[in-house]
Amino acid sequence: MKRRGFLLGAAGVAGAVASPWVSVADAATDDDLAYANFGLASSYLLADFYGRALEAGRLGTAARRPLRAGRAASNQHARALTALLAGAGDSPAAAEDFAFEWPQGTFTTAGSTREAGLAVLRATSGAYQRATATSTEPTYRVLFASLAASLAEQAGALTAPVGGAPVVPFPAELDLEAASAALEGYLG
Amino acid sequence: MRNRLAALLLVLVATVPLAATATAGQQANAPLTIYAAASLTDAFRTFDAGQNYSFAGSNALETQIRNGAPADVFASAAPLNTQRLFRAGLVEKPVTFTANRLALIVPRANPAGIRTIYDLRSKPVKLVVAGPAVPVGGYTITVLRKMGLSSVLGKVVSRESDVRAVTGKIALGQGDAGFVYVTDARAVSDQVTVIRIPAWAQPRVRYEIAVVARSSNRAAARAFINSVLSARGQTALKNAGFLPAPKAAS
Repeated sequence: MKRRGFLLGAAGVAGAVASPWVSVADAATDDDLAYANFGLASSYLLADFYGRALEAGRLGTAARRPLRAGRAASNQHARALTALLAGAGDSPAAAEDFAFEWPQGTFTTAGSTREAGLAVLRATSGAYQRATATSTEPTYRVLFASLAASLAEQAGALTAPVGGAPVVPFPAELDLEAASAALEGYLG
Repeated sequence: MRNRLAALLLVLVATVPLAATATAGQQANAPLTIYAAASLTDAFRTFDAGQNYSFAGSNALETQIRNGAPADVFASAAPLNTQRLFRAGLVEKPVTFTANRLALIVPRANPAGIRTIYDLRSKPVKLVVAGPAVPVGGYTITVLRKMGLSSVLGKVVSRESDVRAVTGKIALGQGDAGFVYVTDARAVSDQVTVIRIPAWAQPRVRYEIAVVARSSNRAAARAFINSVLSARGQTALKNAGFLPAPKAAS
């Protein structure tokens, strides 16, 4: 029974179709909503990153597919977090609420492009790890863990052509203040 | 007798249009009465000093217009206030004309030692905010909720009627920290330190402006709004630290 429940929950998160977290919106704590708000902004930022990386084309033809997949995943994450926040009575931000800023030269070489993408992926993933640890609602924990796992997969795909990102056995978790500081230069 | 009456009517018919023209002419030259959010004080006065302004919290101005106050134009710091009046038929269709951001300010001396917004949670702080019905007060609640810091509302020692009052109290050191618009913080930059609020936690601060339906000089009121929307008006707002009105519908 427990296994069935887990599988159903996992399927819901993976497909981002049923949005099971909406049904437990009343359980959202201030911290849950804060991580969701941060994650939503990061999702828009990542979607913007993938779009610009595709446009710049410095990662080569082979990278186009993972970049498109990353952008699609970011948009799905944004929709999931928007549903969570709206379900909890918040007014979720829209992409146009942000003026994303990428440091000069970010998309001029393959190396600088990957570096910027990894910086955002790691900071956001670190925040999701902390959110997973602090959330008291199992449905949210599954969601945040799933989001962190997706970002780790994206980091792998982004760096695959150069042999992958350095393997970190225990990636650091980040509280909101640290994660927010890490992305301050990008979010405008 | 009949001839005298006819002559009087003729005179009346002939003079009424003249009188009406004279009144219209006087109105066109007369200053408008503009009700505007307190945060627009410096920007509007700099942009057009020739109008009669009444600056206050947008919620208070909304109430005054609802009660028949003789305003020609209403500029609000939140769409909520203009849209409510529009639905009641008390203003013409509002337009968004600028945007803003929130900031946390602390007195230059910073007796509470606040370095980041997260310090509000961990340190004993006397927090000054605007009341929840005032736009900036509502936006403050939104920021704190977005950042998971709603609990710091327990440290509020004063709820002010508009953003200028919050700014003044912090500038004078009567509170340890307060939430204001970045434009208000600029006006007292020599007396306060500004602590940035992250972009992901910012509320959607949009200003709307509308002609008051009962205005006796709607043509001039519309002309004023057009001037605010013009390149010159937008430059004046930008110079005061306001953000451009977003193009995309939100």
